[in-house]
Amino acid sequence: MTAALIWVLLTVVAEFALLSLNLFGDAATKQGQFIDDAFILLMALAIPVFTFVVTMIGYVVIKFRADGDELEDAAPVRTHKKWVGSWLIWTTLLTIVVIIYPGYVGVQELRETHEEEADLTVNVTGRRWQWSYEYEGRAVSLFAKDDMLILPNDSLIRFYVTSEDQDVIHSFWIPAFRMKIDAVPGLTTKFDVNTTKIGNFNDDVNFRVQCAELCGRDHSLMFTRVKVVEPAEFEQWIADQAA
Amino acid sequence: MPLVRGVIYAAIGFAIGGSISLGITNMTGEDYKEPMIVLGYVFAIIGWLMGVGMWKIWGREWFGKSTVNDPTGGWERYLKFNTDHKVIGIQYLATLAVVFLLAGLLAMGLRAELADSGQNVFTKNTYNTTMSLHGIMMIAVAVAAVMGGFSNYVLPLIIGAEDVAFPRINALSFWVVPPVVVLLLLTPLFGGFDFGWTAYPPLATQAPIGGLLFELAFLTFGISSILGGLNFIATIITQRAPGMTWGRMPIFAWSVLAASIISLTATQWVAYGMLMIIFERVFNMVFFSPPGGNALLYEHIFWFYSHPAVYIMILPAFGAELEIISHFARKPIFAYRWVVRAFAAIVALSFVVWAHHLFTSGMGEELAVPFMVLTELISIPTGIIFLSALGTVWRSKLRLKVPLLFALAVVFNFAIGGLTGIFLADVATDIALQDTYFVVAHFHYTIMGGEMFAIFAAGYYWFPKITGRMYNETLGRIHFALMFILYNITFLVMFIPGTVGMNRRVAEYPPEFEAMNLIVSIAAFGLGLSFLPWIYNMLNSWIRGPKAPDNPWGAKTLEWQTSSPPPLENFKVMPTVTGDPYGYGDESVVHARFGKSSPSSQAAPAEGD
Amino acid sequence: MTIHVPNVNHRFDPLTINRLGLWLFLVSDASFFIALLSSRVFVSGTSTPDEINQVLGLSLTVLLLLSSLTAYRAEVAAENNDMSHMKNMLLATMGMGILFVFGVGYEWYEALQHFPPSTGFGTVLFTLTGVHVTHVATGILTLGFVYFRVRKIETIGDNLFAVEGAVKWWHFVDVAWVFIYPTLYLLK
Repeated sequence: MTAALIWVLLTVVAEFALLSLNLFGDAATKQGQFIDDAFILLMALAIPVFTFVVTMIGYVVIKFRADGDELEDAAPVRTHKKWVGSWLIWTTLLTIVVIIYPGYVGVQELRETHEEEADLTVNVTGRRWQWSYEYEGRAVSLFAKDDMLILPNDSLIRFYVTSEDQDVIHSFWIPAFRMKIDAVPGLTTKFDVNTTKIGNFNDDVNFRVQCAELCGRDHSLMFTRVKVVEPAEFEQWIADQAA
Repeated sequence: MPLVRGVIYAAIGFAIGGSISLGITNMTGEDYKEPMIVLGYVFAIIGWLMGVGMWKIWGREWFGKSTVNDPTGGWERYLKFNTDHKVIGIQYLATLAVVFLLAGLLAMGLRAELADSGQNVFTKNTYNTTMSLHGIMMIAVAVAAVMGGFSNYVLPLIIGAEDVAFPRINALSFWVVPPVVVLLLLTPLFGGFDFGWTAYPPLATQAPIGGLLFELAFLTFGISSILGGLNFIATIITQRAPGMTWGRMPIFAWSVLAASIISLTATQWVAYGMLMIIFERVFNMVFFSPPGGNALLYEHIFWFYSHPAVYIMILPAFGAELEIISHFARKPIFAYRWVVRAFAAIVALSFVVWAHHLFTSGMGEELAVPFMVLTELISIPTGIIFLSALGTVWRSKLRLKVPLLFALAVVFNFAIGGLTGIFLADVATDIALQDTYFVVAHFHYTIMGGEMFAIFAAGYYWFPKITGRMYNETLGRIHFALMFILYNITFLVMFIPGTVGMNRRVAEYPPEFEAMNLIVSIAAFGLGLSFLPWIYNMLNSWIRGPKAPDNPWGAKTLEWQTSSPPPLENFKVMPTVTGDPYGYGDESVVHARFGKSSPSSQAAPAEGD
Repeated sequence: MTIHVPNVNHRFDPLTINRLGLWLFLVSDASFFIALLSSRVFVSGTSTPDEINQVLGLSLTVLLLLSSLTAYRAEVAAENNDMSHMKNMLLATMGMGILFVFGVGYEWYEALQHFPPSTGFGTVLFTLTGVHVTHVATGILTLGFVYFRVRKIETIGDNLFAVEGAVKWWHFVDVAWVFIYPTLYLLK
C-alpha cells in the first residue's frame, strides 16, 4: 500500500514537472509540432512505468533488506497468475496505444501533404562538406558555403534531397523543423514541411541545415544557416536574386 | 613461448600471402597495397593460430599425426592455445578488460574535446578516428565479454558439464580475438578510419587503409562470434548433467542459448557486409555507388546483424542479472517459464526489426509502419524480464552485496534505456531524434547501463569462483556508488543536447549547447576515475585477497557446488540434477546430488570436434 | 520423500555431437548465402544480361549435381565398409569438383569481357560465384584430407564421421549452387 502511494505521488510530481517544463522550444513547422507533441505524450506514458520501477527498487531495498550473517530464505513464490496476467495485459495495451498513436497516426501525419502541390520545391544536393540548393521554377540556386537558406513562412515546402554520385551519404536535417532525411548518392529522397514560424539562425541556432550522417572530416561544419521570412519578403528576395 | 612463435609464424604468413598478392597485382597492374594487406592478413592469421598452439593440438591430426594437448600448468597456460573453457574464459575477460579500459580512455579524450564547442584536443580526423575506435572497441567488449568471457567460464559449470562440446573450436574462437585488437590499434598508423563503428559506405569504401584494417578486424571478430555461438548451442544441447531437463536449466544458460542462436546466424550478415566493402575496395566492385550500386544495401545487411547483436549483448546480461537477483534475494526467479518464453520471443523478433535504424535513410516508405510495429512489440517480452526481476525481489530476503547492487542498477538503468528506445521506435519522434545525442544516450543506457552493469555484477559475483579469493566488499561498494551516480549524471544529461538539436559524431558544435556538454564531460571524467577502485580491488584481491569458500553466497546452482577455482574436469564427482536451481525456502527442491545416484556419472567424458 | 530423477542421460556420443556441430555450422553458413542472394536483387535488380553463357551455367549445375551423387555413394560405401568403392567415389567427386572450378574459371574469363566487376551484374556474378567456388575449394580440400586419411586403412572405424562430414559439406555446397544458379542465370 505504501509502495502504491509512493508510486502515485512520484508519478504525479513527474507528470506535473513534464507539463510545466518547456523541453525544447516551439517547432517551426506543423510536422515538428506533431513530433513535439508525440514526444511529450511518450514521456507522459513512460513516466508511470519508470516511477513504478524506481518505487519498487527503492521500497524493496529498504523494506526487505536482510543483511544478517545467516542465510535466510524467503517464502518461495514462483509465479503469480494474476500478476503475470495483468502485467502482460498492461504492457500489451500500452504497446498497442503507442503503435496507434503517435505511431501509425504520426506516419500518416507526416505523409499527409505528399499528394498536395507544394508552394515551394527545393532541390538539395549534399557533397563533402557543404550543401547546395536549387529553388525549383525560381531560377535561384545557392552554392556558396556562407549562403543563407531563405524560406517562406506559412508555406508547404518540399525538399528533394540527394548526394553527388561519387560522394557519400549525408543527412539533411533542420532541427527547428524536426525533420531529416538522408542524402544518398544515386537516390532522391524527400520530405514536406508546413512552415509556421518566422525565425533566423542568428536568434535560434536550430534554424540551420545540419548534416546528421557522419560524412568524414568536416562533418560537424557541414551546415547552412536558415532564415524563415514572410512570404512577401521571400518573393522580394527571390526577385532580387534573379535580377 | 607460444606467443612469440605465433607472432613469428604470423609474420611468415604475411610474407607468403603478401608475396602471392604482389605477384598477382604485378601481372594485372593494379595498386598493390590493399590486396597485399588482405591476402597477407589471411595467411598471417593462419600462421598466428598455428604458432600459438593450434598446430600441436589440432593441425597435426589433419595429416594423420598424433596430437598433444595439455591444458594444465601455471600462468603460462593462459598464454597458449588452451582448450580448457575456464582458461579461455579468463583469457577473454583479461583481454577485454584491457580493451575496455583503453576504449574508456578514448571516451575521456572525446569528452575532453566536447567539453567546449570549439576544436582543441584533436584534429577533426583524429577525433573521428578516436570516436570510431571507441565505438568498435566497446562493441567488441559488449559482444565478447559476456558471451566469450562469462559464458565460457560459467556455462559448462552451471549446466554440470566437463567442458564445452568443442573445446578446440572454443580455443580457436578466442585466439582470433587478439589479432582483432592489434588490427584496431594499428589503424591510426594507417590513416585511421573516420566512419564510426557502423562503416557506412561509400564513406567506408573511400577511407584510408586504416578503414581496411577495421573491416578485416570486424570480419575476424565475426568468425569468433559465430564459432562461439555454435559451441554454446551444442554444449547446452549435449553436455547438460544427467537429470538437467530444460525446465531445470538455470536462466543464465537459457539466455546464453538465446543469444547464441542470434550469434550463429545473424553474424554471417555483418561478415558479408564487411566482405562487400573489402571487395569494393580491392576488386573495384560496385555494390554501393551509382550507377548500379545502392548504399542502402549495406545499411540493411549491416543492421540485420547489428540490431540482433544488441540482443547478443543484453540477453546473457539479463540472464546473469536474474540469476544474481534470485540468489541474493533468496527467492526463486519469478515467472521463470515466462522469462524463457520472453527470451524466445526476443530472439524471434530481433530478426525482423532492423529497419527501425533506417527510418530516415530513404528506404521504401512502406517499410516504416511494419518495422515500427514489430519494434514496439519487443517491449512486451522485455517487460517480462522486468516483471521477473521485480517479482523476485518483492517480499524477498535481500542481501545487498555488491553483485546485487549492480544487478538492481541494471533494472534501473535498463528501464531508462528501454523507455527511451520507444521514442526511437516511433517513426515521428525518431525522425527528429535520429543521429542526435538522444540516440547516443539511449544506447549507452542499454549497453553500458544495462549490459556493462550486468557484467560488473557478474564479475563480482563469480570473482570468488574464478580466482578462489574474495574481493573487498567496501571497495566494491565505493566502486558501485561512484559508477552508478556518475554514470547516471553523464548519460541522463546527455539526453538534453539530443532533444534540443545537437547531432552526434561531431567534434564541434554550436556554443549554445556548451553548458550541458560541460556537465557531461565533467561527469564522464569522474565516471572514468570510478574504475580505479575496481582495478585495484580486482588485482589486489586476486593476488592477496582472503581465500574464498567454495560457495560464499550459498547459491544453489552447480558452479558453486565445486571447489573455487574448479578442478580441470570441473567436478570431482559428477552431479545428477534432481530439481531446478531456485529451491529457496522450499526444501523439497534439491538441485543436484553428487555421488553414486546415477551410473552415468562414471561415464567417459564426451569428446568431439 | 522421493526425488524424481528423469531417465534422461544428456551425455551424447562423439559422433552425435560432431553431427550436431556440423549441422549448426551449415545453418550459419546458409544464413550467409541468404545474405548473398538478397544482395543480387539490390545491386542489379532481376535483370540478366543476354551475354551470359546459359550452356555453361547449365553444364556446371549438372556437373555439381552428379558429383553430389558420387559423394552420396561414397558415404553409403563407408557405412557398408566397402573401402575400395568409397575411395573411387571420393576420387570421382573430387575430380568433378576440380572440373567445376575450371568451369567457373572459364565463366570468369567470359564474364570479364561482358560484365567486369565494375558493373552491377559483374559485381553480383563475381561475388556469388567467387564465394561459392571458395566453398567448393574447401570441399575438395576436405575430401582430399579425408582421402589421405583413409587411403590405406581396411575398415572405416573412427573415420566414419570424417567421410560423412566431408560429404555433408559437399552436399551443402551443391545445394547452395542450386540456389545461386537460378538467381544468377534464370531471373528475368
